[in-house]
Amino acid sequence: MSIEIKNINKGFGSFSALNNVSLEVPTGELVALLGPSGCGKTTLLRIIAGLETPDTGSIHFYGKDATERAVREREVGFVFQHYALFRHMTVFENVAFGLRVRPKHTRPNDAEIKRRVHELLNLVQLDWLADRYPPQLSGGQRQRIALARALAVEPKVLLLDEPFGALDAKVRKELRRWLRRLHDELHVTSVFVTHDQEEALEVADTIVVMNQGKIEQIGSPQQVYDNPATPFVYQFLGNVNAFEGRVNAGVAKLGALEVPVKEFAQTHDSAVQAFARPHDIDISRDASAAAFKAQLTYVHSAGSVVRLELKRDDAETFIEAELTREYFSQLNLKEGETVYLTPRNVRFFLD
Amino acid sequence: MAAANAHSLSQYAKYHNKVGRSRATSEATWVRYTLIGVALLFLCLFLFIPLAAVFVEAFRKGAETYFASLTEADALSAMKLTLIAAAISVPLNLVFGVSAAWAISKFEFKGKSFLITLIDLPFAISPVIAGLIYVLIFGLQGWFGEWLSDHDFKIVFAVPGIVLATIFVTFPFIARELIPLMQAQGKDEEEAAMVLGASGWQMFWHVTLPNIKWGLLYGVILCNARAMGEFGAVSVVSGHIRGLTNTMPLHVEILYNEYNYAAAFAVASVLALLALVTLALKTYVEWQAARNAEETEREITE
Repeated sequence: MSIEIKNINKGFGSFSALNNVSLEVPTGELVALLGPSGCGKTTLLRIIAGLETPDTGSIHFYGKDATERAVREREVGFVFQHYALFRHMTVFENVAFGLRVRPKHTRPNDAEIKRRVHELLNLVQLDWLADRYPPQLSGGQRQRIALARALAVEPKVLLLDEPFGALDAKVRKELRRWLRRLHDELHVTSVFVTHDQEEALEVADTIVVMNQGKIEQIGSPQQVYDNPATPFVYQFLGNVNAFEGRVNAGVAKLGALEVPVKEFAQTHDSAVQAFARPHDIDISRDASAAAFKAQLTYVHSAGSVVRLELKRDDAETFIEAELTREYFSQLNLKEGETVYLTPRNVRFFLD
Repeated sequence: MAAANAHSLSQYAKYHNKVGRSRATSEATWVRYTLIGVALLFLCLFLFIPLAAVFVEAFRKGAETYFASLTEADALSAMKLTLIAAAISVPLNLVFGVSAAWAISKFEFKGKSFLITLIDLPFAISPVIAGLIYVLIFGLQGWFGEWLSDHDFKIVFAVPGIVLATIFVTFPFIARELIPLMQAQGKDEEEAAMVLGASGWQMFWHVTLPNIKWGLLYGVILCNARAMGEFGAVSVVSGHIRGLTNTMPLHVEILYNEYNYAAAFAVASVLALLALVTLALKTYVEWQAARNAEETEREITE
C-alpha cells in the first residue's frame, strides 16, 4: 500500500468536510476521487499532501505514519487546479525549483539539474518552451509544466487537484489521455480529484465516489458504473431515470408499472427507489402491462445516439431514452406520439 | 437634414472610434468640455499655482539667497534629521508591514480583524494625538519619564521621539498596500513551493517577495514621502530645538513664523521637489505593477 488513510475527520467550523473517511491506495495505481463540489474530495487530497491537517485520524505512506510529517518532507508531487506556476520564473526555473531548494548535500549540481529539467520537459513534450514565462503559455501547456515541476522532485505519490478543471473541453480530453499514457509509463502512485465522471471513468484504475464528506463506493470504473452501490452513485455516474414507488411482497409498484423483484419477497410495503439508464429503456407502440404509457415530447437527434424526452402519463415526470439512429428511423417516431416504455436492468434501492 | 445628420454621425464615429468612444456611451460636447474645464481649473487653482508659488517665492530674492538658506547650518541639520527619521522608520515599517501583510493574507487565525483594525489605527488618529501619546508615555511627567531621566536617556524632545512618532504615523502604508495584493494572489504558489520542499525562508525569498515587489516598492515610496513630510506628530514630540530636533517641515514653519519667507520657501521647495520625485517614482512603479497585474489576470482567465 502506498497510502493508507484511516478514519479521517475534518471540519471547518460547524461544517464537517470529511466524516470518518478510510481509504487505501495501492502502489502504482491511478485513483480518482470523484464527487460533486463540496463533497470533501479536495480536502482529502490536501490532507494527503499535508496542506491541511485532519482533526482526527491518521495517514500512512508506505506503512509509516506520516500524519505529523511536514509538507516539505512528505515527498509528494502536487498539481494545482490553477497550475500555481511561479509567474516570475521561466518554465525552466519552475521545473528546477524543487531541485534548487534542496539542502546543499542532496542538491544536484547545475549540469545535473539542467539535464533533469530538460528530460522532464521532453517528457511533457514542451522542451521548446524552457525560456518562456508562465503568462506566455496556454492553459494546457501550463498544466503540463505544472506536472513536470511536480515530477522533478521524484515524488513517491503524485496528487492532482482537478488537473483539467480550468481547461476547455477539447484540451481536457487530449490531456487526460496523455496523463493516462504518462502514468502507464511512470507508474507513480497517483490520486486525482475530479467532479467530471467521464474523466474519472476514462482515466482512473480505481474510482472513489464521494458525497457529503463520505465515501459512497470504491471500485473499478466498470464496477461503479455497472453496479452502483448507492442511489447517489447511480445518479452521479452517467444519465439515469429515477422512479419512486413502493414494494410489497416481491412486487414493486412504480406508478402504473408493476415489476416482480425477487430479492424483496420478504419486504412489506416500504418505499423504494428504482433506476434505469436511458439506453435501457425499450420503446414500443404496442400497449403492454409492464410498460409506462408516455408521450414523446422532444427528440434530440444531434450526436451518435438519438435522445428522447418522454412525459409519463401516470406522473408529472419525464423519462429519458436513448436509441441508435438506425432504430430510431426504423420506428419512425413523431413528437407528440403516445408510446409504451419498458425499463430493463432496473436497480432497486429500499429507502 | 437626415443626410447631414448621417454624415456627421459617420465622421463622429470615424474620429471617435480611435479612442474607443461612441455617441451611445458619451455625453454631449458642451457637457464634456465643461466637466474637463472645471477639472482643469480646479487642478490649476489648488495644485499647479501653489506648487509654482513655492518655487517663485523661494527664488524671489535670487538664487544666491536661495542656496544660502539651504546651506545654512540649521537647514542642513533639519535635512539631516529628516533623512535620519526616514532612514530608520522606512526599513522598520518595511519589516513590520511585510510581516503583518504576510500573516493576515496567508493565514487564518483568531483576532485577524482586530489586527487589521490595529494597523489602520495611525490613519484614524490625528497625528497630534499620536505625538501626545509619546509625550504622555516618555515625557518628564509621563509613565516612564522618571526612569528615563534617571538613566539619562531622552526620548521626547530628542531624536528618538521624532523617530518613534514617524514610525507610528507611517506604520499602515506598507501593510495596507500589500494586504489586498497578497490576498488577491492567494496561497497557491506558496503551497506549491512548500510541497516542492522549500523552507519557509526559501518560499518567502523566491516566491512571495518577487510577486509583491512592485506593491512593496509602492508602499515604501508612500511611506517615505509621509515620513519626510510628517508635521503634526513630530511637532508635538520635537520641542523645536533649532539645529537639534528640527525636521524640514518644522524648520519651514519656524522660518515662516520669523517672516523669513525666502528661506522658508527655499526649504519648502526642497520638500516639494522630494514630493515630485516621489510622484514620478510612484507613477513608474504603479505602471509596472499594473503591467504585472495584467499578466496575472491573463494567467487566471485563460
